Amino acid sequence: MALAGVSFRVDQGSITGLIGPNGSGKSTCFNIISGFYTKDRGEIYFQGEKIENIEPFRLARMGIGRTFQIAAVTEKMTVLENLLLAPKTQTGEGVFNVFFRAAKIRRQEKENYEKALEILNLVQLYDLRNEYAGNLSGGQKKLLSLGRILLSDPLFILLDEPTAGVNPTLIKDLIAAVKRLRDEEGKTILLVEHNMKVISEICDKVVVLDFGRKIAEGTPKEIQNNEKVLEAYLSGSSKHESIHENS
Amino acid sequence: MGFINFLVYLAIMMGIFAILSVSLNLQYGFTGLANFGQVAFFCLGAYATTIVTLTFNMSFFLGLIAAMFLAGLFGYIIAIPTADLREDYWAIVTLAAGEIVRIFFLNEDWVVGGGPYRGGAYGVGDIPQPFRSHFSAQTYPFFYLGIVLACLLVTYLIVNRLTKSPFGRVLKSIREGDDNLAQAMGKDVKKFRIKTMAIGGIFGGLAGCLYAHYYGFISPQEFVPLETFIVWAMVIVGGEGNNKGAILGSVIIILFYNSTRYLKDYIPINETTLASLRMVAIGVLIVVVMLFMKEGLIKEKKRIY
Repeated sequence: MALAGVSFRVDQGSITGLIGPNGSGKSTCFNIISGFYTKDRGEIYFQGEKIENIEPFRLARMGIGRTFQIAAVTEKMTVLENLLLAPKTQTGEGVFNVFFRAAKIRRQEKENYEKALEILNLVQLYDLRNEYAGNLSGGQKKLLSLGRILLSDPLFILLDEPTAGVNPTLIKDLIAAVKRLRDEEGKTILLVEHNMKVISEICDKVVVLDFGRKIAEGTPKEIQNNEKVLEAYLSGSSKHESIHENS
Repeated sequence: MGFINFLVYLAIMMGIFAILSVSLNLQYGFTGLANFGQVAFFCLGAYATTIVTLTFNMSFFLGLIAAMFLAGLFGYIIAIPTADLREDYWAIVTLAAGEIVRIFFLNEDWVVGGGPYRGGAYGVGDIPQPFRSHFSAQTYPFFYLGIVLACLLVTYLIVNRLTKSPFGRVLKSIREGDDNLAQAMGKDVKKFRIKTMAIGGIFGGLAGCLYAHYYGFISPQEFVPLETFIVWAMVIVGGEGNNKGAILGSVIIILFYNSTRYLKDYIPINETTLASLRMVAIGVLIVVVMLFMKEGLIKEKKRIY
């Protein structure tokens, strides 16, 4: 069993951090929420509605967007193509529409293209827009995944280690972008992150997992002084240092 | 005149197989669906039009529509239970499906009653050639070449338009390895795969129909898995994910395939050995292309916005 009795709430318009040592079940938790894994028991509610046995793509359409830990990009598609995949209901994705609703498709593509350009500037990939996504660095792929999520405009965003491998100056921009999502657009965000600096800077609440169980929940400050949390990180790995580094 | 007739024959074969390879390219090159049963579409198309035009005495156009419809429907049905499978399992299932179709026509002779051939293993002959009476024996092949090229052009335009559209963009994202990404973007991956197989089937059926009416005779022996691999060779050599590449590939492979006819005068090997060697030649060609031009003769074009 990967997760047992994990229960937490992500408030609308907040940023919640999900942390824990390696193998503590963070990614499993993400996969269950976004429908990629099926759960044996337990309940998940999204906007007051129970979500049960719903295919991932339907959840995505309902407004649950996610990124992946190992940044998934479509390697032999350009950065721009990757972004243009994001908008959810595109007329041009229907076979008959391709032939009979050309004008509408052209209009939509133009709109999406312009939005994509804005996002490219935000994640600083504009110069690489026509490069194959497979040629990007790990950090750039992360940025691309984030950009794609921004363009797909979900209500609830699951970010799996968005800053891993991203260079420090860019992390600042990333943090600003994520904050803006919450403050200006009222998005709800659940974030897996190892960088405690990022966690303490943007999270309203932090949930800590260890061996598939929730061991703590609270504000970033509370968490950093929680004994159970320190113990988990001490016994698990060297992450202990990174917790103290910024406290 | 004999030489020109041979060229026309070559061009017709190239056209028919180009339709098949453009269809396979849509499935494999763009969507990553390793269809090892492409010949099933070809076979179904050929038999569908034969039954419609020969058994029921209806027009070529109805035969054409029946061929496309039946093969498309077959693609659709095959894809429903298998759309979640991984690429390697997909290949196994489609290979088996192709054989099922062939063996069905091998064992059932009721499907095409009448004529000197009774169907089944004997094959079916006397398949009518469209508008044959309007032309002389000399000019008819040219007319038929026109039909084939028109069909190829339509196929190319439709598939090209699809692959360049947002629909094609989703197909490429499905091809790129795992479904998760496309799913996370809210794309109904399964549905896209099913649609692609149906469209691939429609054009595969079209090629089968053209083949049946050109030869006037078909038998299950012509729809063995080897045919599928010849189409694969076309896609690999020409360039995966490029519609023009698929057409170029079919031109080259058909040239190789028919090489015994013109090489026998120049190479001092007896004709039977030479005929066997042509498959070796195609194999070597694939190896060379894979080694030195991994992406085929025409690379997939980068989409620039």
